[in-house]
Amino acid sequence: MKGRIKPVLEYSAALLVLLAAWWYVSGPMGMPAYLLPSPASVAELLWSMLMNGKLLPHLAFTMQNIVIGLVVGSVFGVLLAYAFFKTPALSDYLEGPLVVIQTAPKIALAPLIIIWFGLGLTAKIVLIFSLVFFPVFAGALAGFRSIDSRLHDLAQLMNLSRFQRFLRIDLPAALPGIFVGVKIGAIQALVGAILAEWMSGSDGLGYLMTFATATYKTPLLFGAVLLTAFLGLAMHAILNEIEARFLSWSTPNEH
Amino acid sequence: MIKIEQLSKIYGQGDDQVVALEPLDQQINAGEFVSIIGPSGCGKSTLLRLIASLEDPTSGSVTLETANLKRPVGFVFQDAVLLPWKTVAENIRFPLDTTGVSRKQANEKVAELVELVGLKGFEKSLPKQLSGGMRQRAAIARALADDPPILLMDEPFSAVDLLTRETLNDELSRIWQKTGKTILLVTHSVEEAAYLGSRVMVMSPRPGRLKATYDVDLAQPRGEQTKRDPKFLDLVSELRTLMREMTS
Ligand SMILES: Nc1ncnc2c1ncn2[C@@H]1O[C@H](COP(=O)(O)OP(=O)(O)OP(=O)(O)O)[C@@H](O)[C@H]1O
Ligand SMILES: [Mg+2]
Repeated sequence: MKGRIKPVLEYSAALLVLLAAWWYVSGPMGMPAYLLPSPASVAELLWSMLMNGKLLPHLAFTMQNIVIGLVVGSVFGVLLAYAFFKTPALSDYLEGPLVVIQTAPKIALAPLIIIWFGLGLTAKIVLIFSLVFFPVFAGALAGFRSIDSRLHDLAQLMNLSRFQRFLRIDLPAALPGIFVGVKIGAIQALVGAILAEWMSGSDGLGYLMTFATATYKTPLLFGAVLLTAFLGLAMHAILNEIEARFLSWSTPNEH
Repeated sequence: MIKIEQLSKIYGQGDDQVVALEPLDQQINAGEFVSIIGPSGCGKSTLLRLIASLEDPTSGSVTLETANLKRPVGFVFQDAVLLPWKTVAENIRFPLDTTGVSRKQANEKVAELVELVGLKGFEKSLPKQLSGGMRQRAAIARALADDPPILLMDEPFSAVDLLTRETLNDELSRIWQKTGKTILLVTHSVEEAAYLGSRVMVMSPRPGRLKATYDVDLAQPRGEQTKRDPKFLDLVSELRTLMREMTS
């Protein structure tokens, strides 16, 4: 338990320091409000938006896209990695090209994705998917390849069907590797979701940012940025919690 | 029955070739308890892995007459192979979970086996929380879970303390008599080999091959009195002499 309270305290302390600095610069130091609104005005704005129901739909929209993109990207990443793992011929031919493609910054593809998939939800999910897919694929492939060969012996002895083998041995054994990919993918998903909302549509935290910029509503811009940061922190915390609960077997015991 | 015909295994290719097992002919009848001893690297593990079809033979064949069972062979690896994300109880239940045995039946079986191998109180522990000997006992329990007619054990007791080892020896002997399983046991202990086996196979290294076999003519059931039996002591000293010749 002690181990979990410490990071929370550290986070809180860091946030408090930032907040104090922000308050000082925007208040006593006299930075103009259109450059740096005070913490109080941002909080007030967020609170009133929350109350009149103009905040949660945007937050929910962004979160929904992240979750869908993350889940779909992870599922496909894991499945393709398993196909590569099971069919060496496939990985012989495709692994090189895939790695080369991966080095291209996929953010640059965003406008192309909009052209191909339109201005709606599909393009947003596709963009997030494309960002999530590769890290999960790479993590899962490493995970599958590092499975203890004795577990393969066990699977063979048990005469497991292909499906049983995947579900009961290969997938759980590769989970630590998969999870490394999912954690990277989650950050990418957040970036992708915001980016997609910058470019099109009228929903989401990313949209709030572009709208606020275009109309010089600096407090709103700050509010949206803050919420995005908190969303990132929350995802990080959730994933850490999942890791602590389901992957403790893979970490050596602390004695 | 296990029929081994001209079975051999060579690892690697070209200059890196290692002859792990020279062609071997052997017939092991149903219900036999065969102990296998020999110096390190003489192909004992290789032989068991070939019988379990975990390796492809370089030549020859192994035929198991087990009426097309889905899982004819229970295997205890030299170093316990447990699923690290499953608890002891779940690991032992694994063979049952994957053959559609009812949950209730499986749990009863697991409770019985946990008792047998002396892991009571550790059912919910993860493998990483156990000592090597405890892991090995969990692996033994798992090999017994779905009651395979053939049991292949590769130094199953090497990480177990002496007292537990003797208890497990007696349990294994009892299980063997009760169930009539065919058991192949690899061990480094000549006493254990003679005490448990109805036959002892002695193998020699570089290249790995069968050196001699002994029929063990000792009364069943075996127990403390066996260990004082002159026939037992003679066999043990003969085996020991043979082993010493090979390693010197
Ligand atoms: N996967 C492998 N690849 C290459 N060589 C191997 C492999 N497995 C075993 N060998 C070699 O085959 C020979 C027999 O090995 P094996 O493991 O069967 O011996 P063993 O009798 O079980 O020894 P120990 O008593 O130490 O367990 C050894 O020389 C070993 O180096
Ligand atoms: Mg061995």
